[in-house]
Amino acid sequence: MTPNEQSILWLCEVAAASLAGGVVGAISGLGGGIVIVPVLTIFLHMPIDRAIAASIVSVIAVSSGAGSAYVRDRITNIRIAMFLELSTAAGALLGAGVLAPILPERVLSILFGLLLLVSLIPIFARFGQELPQNVSNDRLANALHLNSKYYDKHLGREIAYNVTGIPAALGIMAFAGIISGVLGIGAGVVKVLAHEIAMKVPTKVSTATSNFMIGVTAAAGAGIYLRRGLVLPFLVVPVAVAVMIGALMGTFLMERMSNTMVRKVFALALAAAGVQMLLRGLGVSF
Amino acid sequence: MEGSDKEPIAIEDASAWVLRTGVILSALVMLTGILFSFVHGTVSVQRMKSDAFEYRPAVIWQGICHGSGKSIIEAGIYILLFTPIMRVLTSMVLFAFGQRDWVYALITMVVLILTLTGLLWIG
Repeated sequence: MTPNEQSILWLCEVAAASLAGGVVGAISGLGGGIVIVPVLTIFLHMPIDRAIAASIVSVIAVSSGAGSAYVRDRITNIRIAMFLELSTAAGALLGAGVLAPILPERVLSILFGLLLLVSLIPIFARFGQELPQNVSNDRLANALHLNSKYYDKHLGREIAYNVTGIPAALGIMAFAGIISGVLGIGAGVVKVLAHEIAMKVPTKVSTATSNFMIGVTAAAGAGIYLRRGLVLPFLVVPVAVAVMIGALMGTFLMERMSNTMVRKVFALALAAAGVQMLLRGLGVSF
Repeated sequence: MEGSDKEPIAIEDASAWVLRTGVILSALVMLTGILFSFVHGTVSVQRMKSDAFEYRPAVIWQGICHGSGKSIIEAGIYILLFTPIMRVLTSMVLFAFGQRDWVYALITMVVLILTLTGLLWIG
């Protein structure tokens, strides 16, 4: 094979591996880094910092690609997204600018991994529940008109929902921002948890709204990776283009799945993310 | 919106359009960059695994003028990075001048400022 043929083959390998990341990322609302980072490091032998940098850029691709469909179909709650982005963005700046140099990254990874695994419990508790029951708006949700409705293609009807627990959600989102600032991840997993556990909105609204938000958080965090020279343009192209296609497939699937099924995909991704963060903290190179 | 001649543009539709346009445009530019790289010569796997992003816009622009595939890719990555930011900017304008919802216009503006600070200055 000529060097150019070898290079094209490598680009195709990276693209094939990234496609699944886009599908999982779009359905679960996590962006897909949990698939892309291990695949790039284990199978394609990329250094972990380069893999994380590529995955941060790809999170923007998933968020924008899937977001355009979820927003058009009115599954994303834009008001919730904008309001909560306030605390995520502030947390991300605090994390990247102030806390990153002082906090021990590995200890934080371990604690974060454990926290993710513990948060599986409330998710499991609602495993079979298709839609949240008996939720009424709290005062902030009323003042900010956060309750909304979406058309569920699986149930074949419009679902109106209320939103609660806004103060708790704001706190969790600030934490999500700090985590993404310090650890350089999109922290979509924490965003979905804030929707699911604190605000109690339907799971599809959770993952679609989280998906919408992670693009902004990732864009704010990507600057550091760009300036440190960790973003490899030739690696980013196959990853980003493939996750865009994967994300479109993911949105098609997610809109037609039941909420319980979406929650199962999310729970799996959550468990995988928890284990990954633990391993990263323990310094296990994968 | 009763009483007005025209429905204001829905923020959802405008956001969807901005996101879709950004994604498609950046993908096309990045793929053009790849094409240029291979047409102009040899790109080894080793080079693809090590060539780092040049973030200075002036250098990228010079590269594009010289037909450098890598610079074209970098421009595509910049388009992708600014896509969510354009989305926030669009919703800020529509919250302010379309819906006249000043609370959300302000919220969106603060998000925009914080995000740009992170992308352009921190680190």
